[in-house]
Amino acid sequence: MQIDLLPRERSTGLQNLTILIGSLLAGLLAVSVVFALNGVNPALAIFSIFRGSFGSWYGIKETITKAIPLILIGSGLALAYKAKFWNIGAESQLLVGAIFATWVGLHWGPHLPAPVIVPLMFLAAFLGGALWGVIPAYLKVRFGINEIISTLMLNYIAAEFVKFLVVGPWKGASKGGYPYTDDLPAQAILSHFSYSRISPVLLVLAIIAALVLGWIVYRSRFGYEIRVIGENTHAARYSGINFFRTSLLIMVVSGGMAGLTGAGELMSIHHYLSYPETISAGYGFTAIIVAWLARLNPAFTIVSGLFFAGIIVGGDAIQISMGMPAATVSVFNGMILVFLIMGDFFISHKLRIRTGRASHA
Amino acid sequence: MKKLLALILALCLATTLFANGGAETSTTAGKETIKAGFIFIGPAGDFGWTYAHDQGRLYAMEQLPWLETVVVESVPEGDAVRFIDRLVQEQKVDVVFTTSFGYMDDTINTAAKYPNVKFFHCSGFKRSTNVGTYMADMYQVYYLNGLMAGAKTQTNKIGYVAAFPIPELYRHMNAFARGVAEVNPEATINVKWIYAWYGPDMAREAAEALVAEGCDVLGFTEDTPTVIEVAQDYQDKGRDIWALSHYSPMQAYGKEAVFTGQLTDWGVLYVKMLQDYKAGKLDDMTNYDLLWLLEDDAVELGADWDNLISPDYVDDFKAITVDSEDFGTISIYDLVMKRREQMIQGREIFDPFMGPIYDQSGTMTVADGELASIGHLFAEMNYQLENFATPLPQ
Repeated sequence: MQIDLLPRERSTGLQNLTILIGSLLAGLLAVSVVFALNGVNPALAIFSIFRGSFGSWYGIKETITKAIPLILIGSGLALAYKAKFWNIGAESQLLVGAIFATWVGLHWGPHLPAPVIVPLMFLAAFLGGALWGVIPAYLKVRFGINEIISTLMLNYIAAEFVKFLVVGPWKGASKGGYPYTDDLPAQAILSHFSYSRISPVLLVLAIIAALVLGWIVYRSRFGYEIRVIGENTHAARYSGINFFRTSLLIMVVSGGMAGLTGAGELMSIHHYLSYPETISAGYGFTAIIVAWLARLNPAFTIVSGLFFAGIIVGGDAIQISMGMPAATVSVFNGMILVFLIMGDFFISHKLRIRTGRASHA
Repeated sequence: MKKLLALILALCLATTLFANGGAETSTTAGKETIKAGFIFIGPAGDFGWTYAHDQGRLYAMEQLPWLETVVVESVPEGDAVRFIDRLVQEQKVDVVFTTSFGYMDDTINTAAKYPNVKFFHCSGFKRSTNVGTYMADMYQVYYLNGLMAGAKTQTNKIGYVAAFPIPELYRHMNAFARGVAEVNPEATINVKWIYAWYGPDMAREAAEALVAEGCDVLGFTEDTPTVIEVAQDYQDKGRDIWALSHYSPMQAYGKEAVFTGQLTDWGVLYVKMLQDYKAGKLDDMTNYDLLWLLEDDAVELGADWDNLISPDYVDDFKAITVDSEDFGTISIYDLVMKRREQMIQGREIFDPFMGPIYDQSGTMTVADGELASIGHLFAEMNYQLENFATPLPQ
């Protein structure tokens, strides 16, 4: 018997879907092994996760709360990944967005009405995230520096900078010496649906952003350029696409979306800037898997964002009711990502199994 | 394809069966039991702050047969609401303990939604009708550590690996510095800030840097025994570097390197709060504020629960003598024991923060003969004392 690996010329929608579901199931199976090794019934654990997130109104509301940042970041990442620009720095683009929004909110917020200050903070955050995103893009197109490394490293710089601000120059007078900035003024706070932490403004923003970015990638000229760059950089250059300009623009959008998320989390959930791990809870990294599960279609991040938000929220449930450690959720997410990427391989390649003697003996 | 469908169906069926089984056992708990939920900032295995709280929870479980507990660990500060909601709505807990300062606003706001549940927030200053506060503070123990560190140092340089520049750290480091100054006015303190509660890699780097600067006794505020391991490495190589155990009994990590440290026993506090709940004493918690010091038995000197000072070092400290204003010529060992006795009797008998106290720039912060107020120590102390060699961060 001999197994051949052949490139797959084209794949149908059904093949795509089957492979996607297949890799998800394989991922769940692998996770089950981990649960079983921990002495927990895997079926029960996985069921508990999804019952915890989608099985009650309370769970659904929290799942939507968590899905909002994942969709906002994930849709921007999907756009960048479509051009094979591997932005691993959404976490820090979010933080820089939060820094910009905090500054605007604290300095201008008290003097401006809500309809002015809220859009202004979003705008500032988008610019902040975009600025932080453009740095690695420039380094890549100008000097050929690998963007995976540069975006990853910029994460640490931004996180340290946030710490510096909150323990140093921005430490709030009203916080008893603790490293937090003062609260944003009331008009800069986004209200929630009653008995939830869902901000209607953010929810609408996330859905519109995902749909618009989806439209851009598949229907606009810019999107066409993104896809050509993603398929073949050389072809893109020959066909007259301005590689420099498009690459920077991709990271403006991708980084900007993450920055926007930072402002949203700040105005809706936290109300003041504090440690980086508090402001983000790793959304920038989880959103990578979200973009991937959406098959790099920004519009699909609405679904995949909800799915991973469900895993995060449901993860609490298994921790609380089954006494599994908090790290379980990270293991779960990591496993699913590995299998999704493996699944991708089978979309672009096919296996041919031949029995009998090899023909070219 | 059909086989696959059948398999999925069977799986779904199986899971619902199991799930129902699980749900039943959790609701059949008798009315007599009290269920308490704990929200932790770190992993329970950090061997520092969260570990100490978890030990306290286990102690309370041992002491109170009617107690049932649910634990959530590694809860980010921005996310406490979600976990409190789940504990109350799904686990039907009667009492919630939130064990980090950053949970303060979330605890107050969520508690307003659940008037029938009692909340206890650790280390905060906001209370309401159903939110009380509690804290066990070790500043007095730090002072005792300082007496010994000041006596032990040969280089007259003492190092400190510090987490965040907040009043808690300044309070502890300043108490430590008061102890050092009392027995060794020549000695100075070098501080390295690592900006993390849990950061073994940074703690190691900071400790190494302090040793390189000539420090030979190291104190620290970080949630792992890393600094002790660094000191023990030097001891193994024949160099005298010591470290003070922090929060949990860390003697085992530095057999030669550790002569004492600070210990906190949250167990007695948890038992007290839960008993108050059981006895129905918590109708209005607006003034329910437990701050337990040496006199209340929640904190202790030592690197394990059996010894105040490592037996290997007792003779050393008995051999070193100083001239004390209060006791004349006295051995360090006796001085430490006497001061500890005094503080157990109460703040008014002896407290390391009796004025005059001067900050690093020479400004008087507590007047001569005045005892620093709890408010000053817990909110206003954002300065270092005169014998610090390093300036305030930036």
